[in-house]
Amino acid sequence: MTLRGLVGAGRPAACAGRFELGADGWRMMVEALPRSTARLCGLWSDGMQVHALFHDGPGPFMASVAVPEGRYLALSPARPGAEAHERMLHDLWGIEAMGAVGTAPWLDQGQWGVTWPLRERAPPAPPPPEGVEFIDGAAMERAGGTMLGHGPAEGGFHAPLHLRLGLPGEGITQVRPRMGYAHRGLCARMRGNTLAGGARLAARIDAGATVAHQLAFARAVTAASGVDTSCPLAIFPAELERVATHLDSVAQMAELQADGRLANLAATLLEHVRQLGHAVYGHRLLFDVVPRRDAAAPAPEMMAALHEGCATLRRLFWRPRGLATQLLGRGVLSAGAARQWGIGGCVGRASGIEADLRAQDPAYAPGWLTPPPRSEGDMTARLSTRLHELGESVRILGNAGVMPEPPVPAQCVDGEGLGMAEGPAGPVWHWLRVEDGRIAAWWCGDPSLAQIQALPAILHGAVYEDVEPILTSLGLSAAGADL
Amino acid sequence: MAYLHLFWPEGGALPRMQALDIFHMDTGGCTGCGLELRAVSRALDAGNAAIRFVSTPRQAGLLLLTGSLSVEMAPVVELAWQAMPGSRLLAVVGDCAVDGGVFTPSYAVLGGVGGRAQASLSLPGCPPAPAMILEALIRWRTGQDKQPPAA
Repeated sequence: MTLRGLVGAGRPAACAGRFELGADGWRMMVEALPRSTARLCGLWSDGMQVHALFHDGPGPFMASVAVPEGRYLALSPARPGAEAHERMLHDLWGIEAMGAVGTAPWLDQGQWGVTWPLRERAPPAPPPPEGVEFIDGAAMERAGGTMLGHGPAEGGFHAPLHLRLGLPGEGITQVRPRMGYAHRGLCARMRGNTLAGGARLAARIDAGATVAHQLAFARAVTAASGVDTSCPLAIFPAELERVATHLDSVAQMAELQADGRLANLAATLLEHVRQLGHAVYGHRLLFDVVPRRDAAAPAPEMMAALHEGCATLRRLFWRPRGLATQLLGRGVLSAGAARQWGIGGCVGRASGIEADLRAQDPAYAPGWLTPPPRSEGDMTARLSTRLHELGESVRILGNAGVMPEPPVPAQCVDGEGLGMAEGPAGPVWHWLRVEDGRIAAWWCGDPSLAQIQALPAILHGAVYEDVEPILTSLGLSAAGADL
Repeated sequence: MAYLHLFWPEGGALPRMQALDIFHMDTGGCTGCGLELRAVSRALDAGNAAIRFVSTPRQAGLLLLTGSLSVEMAPVVELAWQAMPGSRLLAVVGDCAVDGGVFTPSYAVLGGVGGRAQASLSLPGCPPAPAMILEALIRWRTGQDKQPPAA
């Protein structure tokens, strides 16, 4: 029996695609996981139940199990990507995963002042964890190598995270991420908030993927009120954001590798795109654009300049002794590792994984999305995928130039819904439950979390100088991963 | 670089500024201010300005904070401040850093440095545009913000 069939045998819940399983049903699902190809996209709780979100060909489906005793059977032995989710569940709710691979705190470094902050009524709790204790492996100790830290304050402009890197020789063999620096307690802020306040907060989860988060949130709200979830207007801001974020990545990468011409052009185009966002939506970074009624159409000469600029960027990238040649074979994420950690989005596509939520969106005409030029999973593949999608998005922006009226927002009805959107870095998921017009429970899944878990595989064997370029090429954001 | 004009709105060239090394830290926000500061940094680099962003607090004269100061970043901010040499200055940019913004109140957020420490430069906005950041920085650096504006 397939995983979808096993989950579907459960009791259908209030949310479309969610099924409530008993303890036995959950155990059978966990046992079937190694034979299934469905991607695990998230694992979260609302206090009463633990929910797991899977995605396969036909679409997403969710399995839930009640946790009256605060325990559930862990998914991480079968799906390594579940480990961070399980550790976060324990930090925030005190719900334990039985048989989990890792049990150390993920977010809670012992500074919060509360233990298990999302519990309504916390039971007598053990004292907060002392923070992460790093234990170096035997190989590392024998070699007597160097331990180097990266972050949380590097003088850069990204969200803070810490990586503890072990270098017995030249190459990195051990990577321990330490998260929680960018944790803002968004789940607690969402709970009890109005839908308008929630949308404002969702726009500020991660500035690099703000439209994707806004869209996924809006779709979750419409799904909760039980009306049609298609939102054709949203194509334009989503693609504009993709263009901006990809341009920013290319510019950063070129700056790191001292490719002045590429950096210059990418930064200039990026500033044009930001100004276009300001002209069309009244906000440079596209905060609070969904839903919006007053959007001006962009100037056609602007789109032509963008199109031409993207062609020049590709030519500069692929020129002899250019960035493409320099980055070849560095920072490889193999297809197997990407599948193991559940990585989708543009990073996954650069490793040969076929995963694009836009392909199922009727607003995207067939033929708009094409496979990327390379699938080796190294930094060249990731950058060329970004450049490829950049050209694609600029074409889509040209085609989607006519902006239809947004649908009238539905009357707020209590319910539960799941929303998704393909952000610049990968799939973004929002799930929420609305009670009395307010958000009663909320969860958000961001692609960065899977990438951070895959960092040991990606950084293995790399030299220390490559850490910053590899993180840039992945485009991961600790703000999205920590919430 | 053509994308950010390093000129006053009146058309004259920028006034001469004292050199300033800035260490930027995101203390737990949406990184939107960081994106705009990156644009500022690129413009300053391209204009060969005396103001620049550095990668270590040991070299910096100004600590520039963005974000709502998460509980776990607070000790890191303190360490960076202690590592700065000589006379040091503090700047806060963005609504979150000024008063906590949309993320307060929360168990994980202290609510911005602006409400807890005296900052030399405080610029609200969600996020402020790069031109605004640059102008505020330059006005403050040349001491023009202290004079009343000419009629």
